[in-house]
Amino acid sequence: MLGLGNLLKSLFSGRLGAQDQAALAELRARLARRFLSYRNLLKANSRALTIMAELQGAQQSPELVAMARLRSAATEMAVSVLAMIQELERLAPKRYPALMERFNALKQELDQLVAGERPLPQGPLVVELGALCVGSDELAGPKMATLAQLGNRLGLKVPDGFVITTAAYNSFVEHNGLRAEINRLLQIKGVTKVDELFSACSALQRLFAQGELPADLDREMAAACERLAQRHGPELRLAVRSSALGEDVGAASFAGQFRTELNVAPAALGEAYREVIASAYGPQALSYYHHYGLRDQDLAMAVGCLVMLPAQAGGVVYSASPLDPADGRVRISACWGLPKGVVDGSVEAEEILVDAEGGALERRTGRQDRFYQCDPSSGVLSAALPSELRDTSPLSNDLALKLASQAKKVEAAFGGPQDLEWALSEAGRLVYLQCRPLHRQASAVAQPLVDGLPDPIISGGLTAAPGAAAGVVQWVHTGHDALIFQAGQVLVVERPLPRWAPLLRWATALVAGQGGVAGHLATVAREFGVPALLGLGPDLERLQPGELVTVDADRRAVYPGRVEGLLRARPAVSPPQTPLRRTLEQLIALTVPLNLLDPASSQFRVENCRTLHDLTRFCHEQAVHEIFSLDGQAFPVAGARQLYCDAPMQWRLIDVGGGFTEEVSGKYVRLEQIASRPWLALWQGMLAVSWDGPPVTGSGLASVIVQSTMRPELESGAGWEEGNYFLVGCDFMNLQSRLGAHFATVEVLAGPDPEENFVLFTFQGGGADMARKQARLHLMSEPLEGIGFTVTIRADAARARRDHLSDAEALDSVRALGYLMIHTRQLDMAMADAGMVAYFAGKLRAELAGLVRRAENSLDP
Amino acid sequence: MSQCKVLVVDDERDFLESLVRRLQRRGLDARGVDTGMEALKLVAEDPPEVVVLDVKMPDMDGIATLKAIKDRDPKVEVILLTGHASVGSGVEGVELGAFDYLIKPVKLDDLIERIRDARERGQLMRRAFS
Repeated sequence: MLGLGNLLKSLFSGRLGAQDQAALAELRARLARRFLSYRNLLKANSRALTIMAELQGAQQSPELVAMARLRSAATEMAVSVLAMIQELERLAPKRYPALMERFNALKQELDQLVAGERPLPQGPLVVELGALCVGSDELAGPKMATLAQLGNRLGLKVPDGFVITTAAYNSFVEHNGLRAEINRLLQIKGVTKVDELFSACSALQRLFAQGELPADLDREMAAACERLAQRHGPELRLAVRSSALGEDVGAASFAGQFRTELNVAPAALGEAYREVIASAYGPQALSYYHHYGLRDQDLAMAVGCLVMLPAQAGGVVYSASPLDPADGRVRISACWGLPKGVVDGSVEAEEILVDAEGGALERRTGRQDRFYQCDPSSGVLSAALPSELRDTSPLSNDLALKLASQAKKVEAAFGGPQDLEWALSEAGRLVYLQCRPLHRQASAVAQPLVDGLPDPIISGGLTAAPGAAAGVVQWVHTGHDALIFQAGQVLVVERPLPRWAPLLRWATALVAGQGGVAGHLATVAREFGVPALLGLGPDLERLQPGELVTVDADRRAVYPGRVEGLLRARPAVSPPQTPLRRTLEQLIALTVPLNLLDPASSQFRVENCRTLHDLTRFCHEQAVHEIFSLDGQAFPVAGARQLYCDAPMQWRLIDVGGGFTEEVSGKYVRLEQIASRPWLALWQGMLAVSWDGPPVTGSGLASVIVQSTMRPELESGAGWEEGNYFLVGCDFMNLQSRLGAHFATVEVLAGPDPEENFVLFTFQGGGADMARKQARLHLMSEPLEGIGFTVTIRADAARARRDHLSDAEALDSVRALGYLMIHTRQLDMAMADAGMVAYFAGKLRAELAGLVRRAENSLDP
Repeated sequence: MSQCKVLVVDDERDFLESLVRRLQRRGLDARGVDTGMEALKLVAEDPPEVVVLDVKMPDMDGIATLKAIKDRDPKVEVILLTGHASVGSGVEGVELGAFDYLIKPVKLDDLIERIRDARERGQLMRRAFS
């Protein structure tokens, strides 16, 4: 190979032999690889920064991101940063050995954070309920652990039975290899829209339904059933109930969100067990995790198998009012038959208010015409209530008082109001089936008078959750109706079934014909802060689909239209700190903060890279240095040429093939020596419409963009040498412009093949005043979309892109971009004044249209 | 410019077929196989420019296939595609020479852009070694 010195001599003397030609070709190939490395590094950089912007956006938004997204975001960032390190290594082999060390340390922390396997609970697969001691929540799930305490500690009657533990759940998940598959499905499907949620759930639940019971678990379940049958006879039937970990997190009760299988024959227990653990990934439960920010790995489900009680009556008892903290009266909901009628909201139960101390009773009779009973073979069925029972109360005064005093006893023992499910055995004994803390939400204290209220469409019913909200009526009868439910609608249902709970995430208010305060859906509405008015009866039919209404649950009325005077802000109900929020914040802390601010500072070193952002910053800085080193000794062809147009300008260009009309030696390149068509188009766009601000000449594009971001500390220059670097080819152009935390890219390919052509523009401004930056980005995006760009905005980063276009179209787009970039400053000033925004939006559109026309004229004479 | 020769490897048949079809519709010379072994056979017989490789497959998984491809012909560029995002496996893949590690669901435009970038690198590498 020819020595570099000789090659240089030949180049400058203008005499190139065949050998020199070959050497020059090889040199060009090496340069091409360097530029490719540089471009890949920049792309990886922009991918990493886009995700960081997304995470910051997520932090500011009250909406939660799913754990699956945090996991994939962490992975994408780590992979992008590694790609940058590798490309830098290609540009400057072995110069930064400490980079991989820093990266590996951060990678390990990230991995631990998002892989986040919870330590598996250790213990037996099956435990008898009577053998559960205090503190067995982790193994038996809080629901069964609490029920065991009612019996073992407080001496109340609870059913005999056993618990299939969380250790068993994990053994099932492991045995069937479900963990990775669960994560994959949650990642791929997303759960932010109704239809996505339902589709993810059905796929997840199929996994559980098709799973196989590990042999030892199967054996232990059979043995436990055998022991129960010895105590209760061969006709034993079971109630199979969920008891999931995470049910106790925050204020979440998961009311009715998991499956309960009633009256199950021991032979069918395996199937019922799979159904119940599958409900861990039902739509109700998943939207609950989402609301409360639980991570999917927080979930493990124990299952209680209790002797089934053929109850004559049952229901729910609250040891205090769920709506009024000053009201300490016990509230009993009672129905004939199994308590299922009350909890699923399908019967209008009798409500009994009991003053537990004074013994005063207040009854509000229900309207029950059907009741649930055990099917003689298995399962439960709903039957017509015998007429002689319709006008009698399912619960005598004595029993109501006894129930109330026991509820108060539990409240005292557990240190707060409780929500208990009870049943009356055929022998007339009170038995408790479930116990959990009562979620209370205070009603608006006083109803302000509102003048000129329209006549309500309906009034009456029961306030199940306080508040008032407006929205369009959407009736939901079937699962299909649920799929088309839109955010911001009023959910109207005949029966408030727990299966509609996922919709409460999107509903403004809930209205139902049946049901009462103690139903599961009512509980969920209170937890989500959705105003709910239940038990409206047949009048509900008056609500027309598509009609805009205002539901005031406190006034117990639905009004036509949007009645501003009634609307109250929905109370904030999300607990401020959830496991998912904490994970998001830790992830941001490891990735987003930028500590390497000033490349001129002695602190700008690998050892000081504390986040992924620092690593990207460091790699970017060093890569720019490697590529654009102005001495140009190592690569004479590569040396950046400074643009000379009347005067030297802070624009540096590098020819990557056909970008210049001729070989340019020396420090400067003149305008007429530039052949790159995309570059010339950008230049035309910038100069096309005279600019009202300071002259562009002599001031770098970066500074124009940066000054417009209103960050005074950056305007004075943060140590980075102002400048803009262009890679130019005949049909190709790449602009990188960076100052401090601000970063802009334009990349264009405008060649003969429309399939390959593209125009890409990205802009990101870090730091303060997000609102104004977003307003500017949106204003910029409108005209870009008008000329065919697809624009996505995430936090303070915008990305505009056009693909598959002719070279002429691509060059037009670049002209428009040039124009927009220069006028960014005006846009920003306009942001300060709402009236100016409209003016500039119009001006931009008009001038842009004129620009494209002029360009057409000049191209087609 | 000639069509880009892409091989897609994924054990999920539906996904494989639809991706190959969509890539073909966008003008790429794409074909698909559903095991790592078949991918290796093709790489030996009729090397593609870019392989899009699923990470989690039975028998021979994506990482093992990546290693074998890179052993046989380092100039074939490999893009890993996974439904199971994990920081560890992503970093491992890129360290073993994968051009990139993408996470499902991936937008077709983004995938094609990465395929083009990978191809460009492969072409430059070939030029360097020829």
